[in-house]
Amino acid sequence: MLSPATHTLAQILDSRPSTIHPTSLDIVMSTITVKVEFGGGLELLFSNQRSHRVALPARVPVSYSNPFSPPSAAGAEQGIQNSEDAPKKPVDLSYLIFWLRDNLLKERAELFIENGTVRPGILVLVNDADWELEGEGEYQLKDGDEIVFISTLHGG
Amino acid sequence: MSCGNPVADADALMQRRKKYDKTKNCVKCKVAQGNLVIRHAVYCKECFLHLVVHKFRRTLEPTVNPKPDGPRRTALKPAGNLLVGFSGGLGSSVLLELVHRCYIALDKSTMLADGGSHHPRHERVWKRVSVCYVEVCDAFPGMKDRTEEIARHIKRYDGLDFVSLRIQDAFDLSWWKRVGGKPFSSELGVTLADEDLFLESLASKSSDPLTSLRTYLSSLPTPTAITTSVQTLTRLLLLHTALHTGSSHLVFGTSLTSLAVSLISGVAQGSGFNIREETQEDWTPEPPEVSASEVPEESTNARDSQHEGKKARKGKRTVRVVRPLRDLGMKECAAWAWWSDVPVVGKEKWGWAGARPGIGTLTKDFIVGLEKEYPSTVSTIVRTCGKLAPKGEVSGSCILCARPAQRGVQEWKARISIRSRPPVDPIAALNGPSDPVVEPSPVASAKPLRPSLTPYLCYACHTTLTSKSARPVPSPWPADARSAIVTLPVWTEARLSSAKGDNDRTSHVHGEILQTRRVREEEMKEIVDEFLLDD
Repeated sequence: MLSPATHTLAQILDSRPSTIHPTSLDIVMSTITVKVEFGGGLELLFSNQRSHRVALPARVPVSYSNPFSPPSAAGAEQGIQNSEDAPKKPVDLSYLIFWLRDNLLKERAELFIENGTVRPGILVLVNDADWELEGEGEYQLKDGDEIVFISTLHGG
Repeated sequence: MSCGNPVADADALMQRRKKYDKTKNCVKCKVAQGNLVIRHAVYCKECFLHLVVHKFRRTLEPTVNPKPDGPRRTALKPAGNLLVGFSGGLGSSVLLELVHRCYIALDKSTMLADGGSHHPRHERVWKRVSVCYVEVCDAFPGMKDRTEEIARHIKRYDGLDFVSLRIQDAFDLSWWKRVGGKPFSSELGVTLADEDLFLESLASKSSDPLTSLRTYLSSLPTPTAITTSVQTLTRLLLLHTALHTGSSHLVFGTSLTSLAVSLISGVAQGSGFNIREETQEDWTPEPPEVSASEVPEESTNARDSQHEGKKARKGKRTVRVVRPLRDLGMKECAAWAWWSDVPVVGKEKWGWAGARPGIGTLTKDFIVGLEKEYPSTVSTIVRTCGKLAPKGEVSGSCILCARPAQRGVQEWKARISIRSRPPVDPIAALNGPSDPVVEPSPVASAKPLRPSLTPYLCYACHTTLTSKSARPVPSPWPADARSAIVTLPVWTEARLSSAKGDNDRTSHVHGEILQTRRVREEEMKEIVDEFLLDD
């Protein structure tokens, strides 16, 4: 869980306008680190490695993680580059799902992602709690969060 | 609510409905913050872990005693041992862990606190617990053999016997003898290419079970038939292993979600008559017509077996198939496995190059997708199917799947089917059927009565073997040519062999063999001629 101090910093960053010029504070909190784990056979899609540490930008383009408009390959690249003009929002779980697809997934994306979210049959836990309690893809990630993806569909 | 533009105005979007009722607090203890949402109800981790054990015991324990308890619960005294069917998937991994904790390790945390430490529930229920894994990698190309991995997984648990089988054992005479099956000489095969399923003598007595398996699967008409047949072979291998290990109970790790899939998929494939068996069944190795006083043949051969459970072998032996996870959805199984540190070996998808998904795969995709958006629907499917009772009489058990067969299905099928007949000469049609020159004699045109597998099959198995696809189906084993006459599984061969040796019993068990043919009006008139009144 986050320390109160970190939480305050994250809140400050979230509330600031996206066009603000970089400051020393901005450089410190421009990325957050989350722990990602895979279980139930899902790790086979991610180099057979169960645990990953992932650094993500604290603010991401709004369109990138919109679950209703999954980006194309070209669009995804654009999203990762964080074009300066694009409207931004705090990084959320939907962004993480696309980020994992584009950066860590090694094979068969259709077994992980479907219609802009995780495939039915994949259970997501946010800090040991069901993501349905946390707003699913709209959950705003915080530094030090633990996100677990468990497949319930391992097999035929 | 007004119609707005969701792109320009964020408020125009309808609020998404929450996936949980009321608060985020646990519905059971009302205190702790919730960790998991199960069909709109929120549970904390601790309450959820107990709930899973409770639901497992609540489903399994009322089935342990041969006769169900009355209102007062008595001690658990099964008639034999326990066999766990293990596939390596999520459900069976959870099931094995629960069986081990509750009935082998006798983990106190899985038991109710009342009754004291010497309460009968703290005693071991089953004397022996075996785990059986059937490796199916030889049925589908490119599939990894996981036997070693599974054996290592089972070794984590003490007090378990491991039985490893391969899917081709279903065609292996030595396995059949090993499990105490009545020896027979493999003579008959079936013409799977012909929808009449004629029984013919085998040209060569193939001794290789793997070739027999692959020829059998390659000769099936659809991808659905192939996957369904592999499931049936696996189930029968497990049932016979249960008999051999003196087990009165065979448990499967079928979750609520998997059960909903198998119920819908089964009905879609014509096994609606066996809808109750899909949830729970009492299986006897012989057809129900055999009197209880008659000792089944396997029992005679297995008398010298070192296994326990002799009591269960006396008289009519029954294996009760139970699915103790049938009240737990896949999500609950996954969460319990994760929080209880249960590793899942996993199993591969069944498929081969060019094959379209079968009814089972399509149903699974549909149900899993449905469960995500409407979590209660899967439970509703299972509860609704639980209320169904099949109509019609039972006529023995199917020679292939060993489940009860409905009487008179072939006659019914003949009545409702539209069959194409050889084209009739238009001149003959104009002249009417009385023209003896053009219309051949019905006696001459009737096919000779050849033995067929059809009367021994249930509706679902007959449909599986004969329902053809409109498109050409790529074979999983193109190198294994489709054989004209295909070897049948050993239990089917054994029953055919005993039926051949005992004609009286065959007619008793399987009824008459019927043949239909077209009868001319004149011939019908001749039959009833003496009863007709003169004009």
